[in-house]
Amino acid sequence: MQYSRITFIELYKIFRNPRTYIAFSVVAIVVGLIQLGFYTDGETYLEFGLRSLTDTFELHGKILNGYLMAYIILQTLLVNLPLLVSLVAGDMISGEASIGTLRLILTKPISRNVLIMAKFTAAGIYTLVLLLWMAFWSLGISVLIFGADDMLILKSDMITQILSSDVLWRYIAAFGFAIVAMLTVASLSFFLSVFAENSIGPIMASMSIIIVFTIINTLDLPIFNHMKPYLFTSHMLGWKGFFDIRVDANNEQIKGSIENLPGVLSSAGVLIVHIIGFLWASIWVFKRKDILS
Amino acid sequence: MHIQVDQLTKQFGNFTSVDNLSFSVNAGEVYGFLGQNGAGKSTTIRMILSLIKPTHGTIKLFGKSLQDDREYILSKTGAMVEKPDLYKYLNAIDNMKIFSKYGGLSLSRDEIMNQLAVVGLESRAHDKVKKYSQGMKQRLGIAIAMVNNPDLIILDEPTNGLDPQGITDIRNLILMLSRDKKKTVVVSSHLLSEVEQIADSMLIINKGKKIVEGRVTDLLNPGKVQLEIETLNNEEAKLILGASTWSDSLKGNSIEKLIIEVNRANIQDLTKYLVDHGVGLIGIKSVNSLEAYFLSLTSEHAV
Repeated sequence: MQYSRITFIELYKIFRNPRTYIAFSVVAIVVGLIQLGFYTDGETYLEFGLRSLTDTFELHGKILNGYLMAYIILQTLLVNLPLLVSLVAGDMISGEASIGTLRLILTKPISRNVLIMAKFTAAGIYTLVLLLWMAFWSLGISVLIFGADDMLILKSDMITQILSSDVLWRYIAAFGFAIVAMLTVASLSFFLSVFAENSIGPIMASMSIIIVFTIINTLDLPIFNHMKPYLFTSHMLGWKGFFDIRVDANNEQIKGSIENLPGVLSSAGVLIVHIIGFLWASIWVFKRKDILS
Repeated sequence: MHIQVDQLTKQFGNFTSVDNLSFSVNAGEVYGFLGQNGAGKSTTIRMILSLIKPTHGTIKLFGKSLQDDREYILSKTGAMVEKPDLYKYLNAIDNMKIFSKYGGLSLSRDEIMNQLAVVGLESRAHDKVKKYSQGMKQRLGIAIAMVNNPDLIILDEPTNGLDPQGITDIRNLILMLSRDKKKTVVVSSHLLSEVEQIADSMLIINKGKKIVEGRVTDLLNPGKVQLEIETLNNEEAKLILGASTWSDSLKGNSIEKLIIEVNRANIQDLTKYLVDHGVGLIGIKSVNSLEAYFLSLTSEHAV
């Protein structure tokens, strides 16, 4: 009862704070710009990209469609979304400390455990809503503007064609995975927020950690290769796995299949372990913390 | 008894912020908690509100242990600790709503407006807090402290940073809470004159240690007056007085301020004595008795 009441208050504060809508505006503006760019010059751009293919194959249908647009947008935006998630999650405790409301809240008859769980839940719901907003713009609006058809994905060594009837569930799964990935970022920022007394520190620290881990991921050195499986950033792009399709003995795609489902699930598992770890650490620290702000 | 603190100590590393402090606050009184900046007032108040964990000692409120019955105690307590900025993007009503819900209450708009009227903010209730002056924020902070109709209200430096009018407003508000609403109010301050005007009892601390505790009327002796003597050479004047029958009346060790406590009838004799003994007298003025008392006590305990 106390938990749901406080979660509601935290959500009320998040969604009444004008700063919250920076993230929603950024998503809408960036997606809108990409859509505008492809609407005006997309065909030319794709013709150039597919030139080597059209020499050999005859491509039918609407290649530049809403599904392809959503894939392009996700690749562009999901890399930058952690910053927008950190803006709110990194502010949950430290922001209250800096304006002096944390000490006021803690003089009310509520338990610290409940408060931090409620705050984390609210940050998680914000992340979820932000992802849904992104899904609405990148997939919903793109399909409205560009229509729906089979989806072609160009990779360095192959092209994957996904039937339009086989795409939608993959996007739902991919967004589900992206929510887990962004919740990991939210939990990291939230954890750092417990230590700080202004929100800039946790936001900067979260982004720094993500940048350092991402650099480690890109360096193909033995010392880093041992670390990579344990870094959450190695698993954040696992959503792409939902667009890799298994083929049968005749090299025919198996509709509704995922090429490496255990790998995708394993990545999701690593991210969930990180979320639980960061949340547990946040509770442990916050419960013992002297409120000096 | 609403608050009972026994042998309370708080250490931050090697630094002892509060040192073996014991005191008690009776129901219905205004209790002044005095000390210079850094004396340990805020740390003590934060320990009473469970914001900081004590290193040693026990705290009881309403006869219950803070450690065991924290939520019960906080449900009967309201507090404003230093200067809260509150949620600037919300108005006073929404801020009140949020904090009442944290306290487990769901107040109607009328109830909130009534509480804002108590602190004189009803006409600005719909304005966003970012438009408020510091004094208005302080008053809203007090309204938030009272939102769950607590028996005990703890205000940490409520007049800090306020202009004279703001200080008067807060003082009147505290007196009203005590007299009309029958609340127990604990007020910390380094402004001694403020506490003297509102407190029934007081505690003076310095460097985390208790210096004196008691009723303000007992601590101040109305039959006597404290005088600050300004001379051309305070050190010489102090030697002269120290060698005379006035020596017992000297307060504190400070040379900067020569404080002496005398019966009102003896002021003329003192002046004559100083002049007769060649002290270059510049002036004698009556000082705020509590302030002089406080200065003499804290300078005696200074290391």
